[in-house]
Amino acid sequence: MPRFSRLLQTGGPFLGLLLVCGLFALTEERQFIFTGGNLKNILTQTVIVAIGALGMTLIIVGGGIDLSVGSVVAFCGVLGAKLLVAGWSPWATMLVLMAAGCGIGLVNGAIVAGFRMMPFIVTLGMMGIVRGAAKWLGNNQTINAPQDSPVGGLMARVNPGGFWPLPWGVWIVLGLALVMAVLLRRTVLGRHVFAVGSNETASRYSGVRVGWVKLSTYAIAGLLFGFAGLLQMSRLTQGDPTVAIGLELDIIAAVVIGGASLNGGAGSILGSMIGALIMALLRNGTNQLGWQTFTQEIIIGVVIVLAVGLDRWRQARGGR
Amino acid sequence: MNLPFRAFSAGFVLLVSVIVTPAAEKSYTIAVIPKGTTHEFWKSIHAGAVKAEQELAAQGTTVKLFWKGPLREDDRDQQIQVVENFTARKVSGIVLAPLDSQALVAPVVSAIQSGVPTVVIDSDLKSDKQLSFVSTDNFKGGQMAGEFLAKQLGGKGNVILLRYQVGSASTEAREAGFLDALKKVPGLKLVSSDQHAGATRETAYQASQNLLNRFGKDVDGVFCPNETATIAMTKALRDIGRAAGKVKVVGFDSGTQSVLDLKNGDVQGLIVQDPLKMGYLGVMTLVQHLQGKPVEKRIDTGVSLVTRENMDQPAIATLLAPPIAKYLKE
Repeated sequence: MPRFSRLLQTGGPFLGLLLVCGLFALTEERQFIFTGGNLKNILTQTVIVAIGALGMTLIIVGGGIDLSVGSVVAFCGVLGAKLLVAGWSPWATMLVLMAAGCGIGLVNGAIVAGFRMMPFIVTLGMMGIVRGAAKWLGNNQTINAPQDSPVGGLMARVNPGGFWPLPWGVWIVLGLALVMAVLLRRTVLGRHVFAVGSNETASRYSGVRVGWVKLSTYAIAGLLFGFAGLLQMSRLTQGDPTVAIGLELDIIAAVVIGGASLNGGAGSILGSMIGALIMALLRNGTNQLGWQTFTQEIIIGVVIVLAVGLDRWRQARGGR
Repeated sequence: MNLPFRAFSAGFVLLVSVIVTPAAEKSYTIAVIPKGTTHEFWKSIHAGAVKAEQELAAQGTTVKLFWKGPLREDDRDQQIQVVENFTARKVSGIVLAPLDSQALVAPVVSAIQSGVPTVVIDSDLKSDKQLSFVSTDNFKGGQMAGEFLAKQLGGKGNVILLRYQVGSASTEAREAGFLDALKKVPGLKLVSSDQHAGATRETAYQASQNLLNRFGKDVDGVFCPNETATIAMTKALRDIGRAAGKVKVVGFDSGTQSVLDLKNGDVQGLIVQDPLKMGYLGVMTLVQHLQGKPVEKRIDTGVSLVTRENMDQPAIATLLAPPIAKYLKE
């Protein structure tokens, strides 16, 4: 790979983030956007997309995709609220939610790997199934979690005017990102995920157990999605079966902006985290500028297309 | 070593002066956050907010309005983000119609702690920190509907209450008010009050058909606590030939279809809110507080009974078709 395009892959998302920061720095609202309190705001608003992006990066690098994330987050949120209401301890609730997310991921992975079906279609189906199950579980209603539950503190912003202390959720994302980066870059499984995503047939002939690798990407990602459901519930202080519709698209956009290729075989945890930050920053900044909602949607759409265009261009250069 | 710090503090002083100066000139930035932006109801609220802005400008108080709904309509998390972002934006105050009475408590409390007073409009919040709650007295609206229906039926007959949805505070208050009024008229018999219309016109239509299949021949009067239920029930009555006053219908809220039904005599009365006034008083109450005047904790924006006879009176006609275009000529 020529040095220039490698620079683009690692530095591209960074450049994007700097560009967005620079654009907002030109406006009069910079005095509000670049404050400690607002930075904390942006980080807190990134948490759920970021955790989803950690799992999604793994899946996309392995050549797959998962459209059921939003539904899994809603389902786990409702389940968590019900468990807390029933008197379960926060730790037990967390474990059950992660197990539920992991279980759904296992089903996705098993169908994708076992029957060699298109992940797009399998997870599209799962999106509907799990969303329906969430509404069923919640009886079409939001379930209010107990107000005094410690789970509510995970995403609470103490001292909203200042940067410190950051909510627990932000620290958890940083920790999980580190773990996932090591997993993807420094373990055998991680190398195999890249191999399967780059060239499935070659990997199979080289003795990589392709099915197992795919299954593990969906299962590990499912653990994270279940955890994202817990945090979503913490943020709303309730389980809402209609929340996070379209969240999967935000997450996929973050991963793609972060330099991953939907063809598989390329992507990084750091890039995806920056992608998630870019989206949250855009939303936050255009909010404060008082721009209309539709301008935000248009801008984010343009950014996604630009990011994918950059990816194509990079591949074309890399292929020469 | 000292340079960055000095640059930082210089920047900080600049920043503070920029923030402080406009406040001295009696100018306010106010964020008005609705539940969504496409419905007629929210456009009326927007128009009311703009009306307040224009009147205040005439009095020499400059108000800059931010009108901003959640990115995805009816998504609680998105509305929380909008509240957080305007809190960080240090607006002078927020006028909020919360999508949920519990999920929005934490961001509102955090806004108030950061010195951004918040007025709640339309739907209540499970908190006592908000500056004021400006909305329709839904219980009173329901009572009004019950009294009107009793008068229409001459004090006796079989009555159906088609409820809206479990957990919706505003319509549950209307239903309670209706039942309260009904209790005072011993000649009225409630034959059904446990069916729910649901969120869409389709679910409401099905529920109405099912109810009428069972009680269609015996029923004399119906109350529906929201717009979709009113329209759907009227349609179902028309289908079985029991409309046009054979069964008296009292509904809530007005839309193009229900006003047409009222004009044609299929609906006898509509209880109508005043969203324009809600938006207007939301902003006005906030500005009063910002100017250091005391404000009421609870402000009722009133309900009116609209019938075929009074629907052309100017005051009522304004309620049925709020002058949105006059204020929102973007």
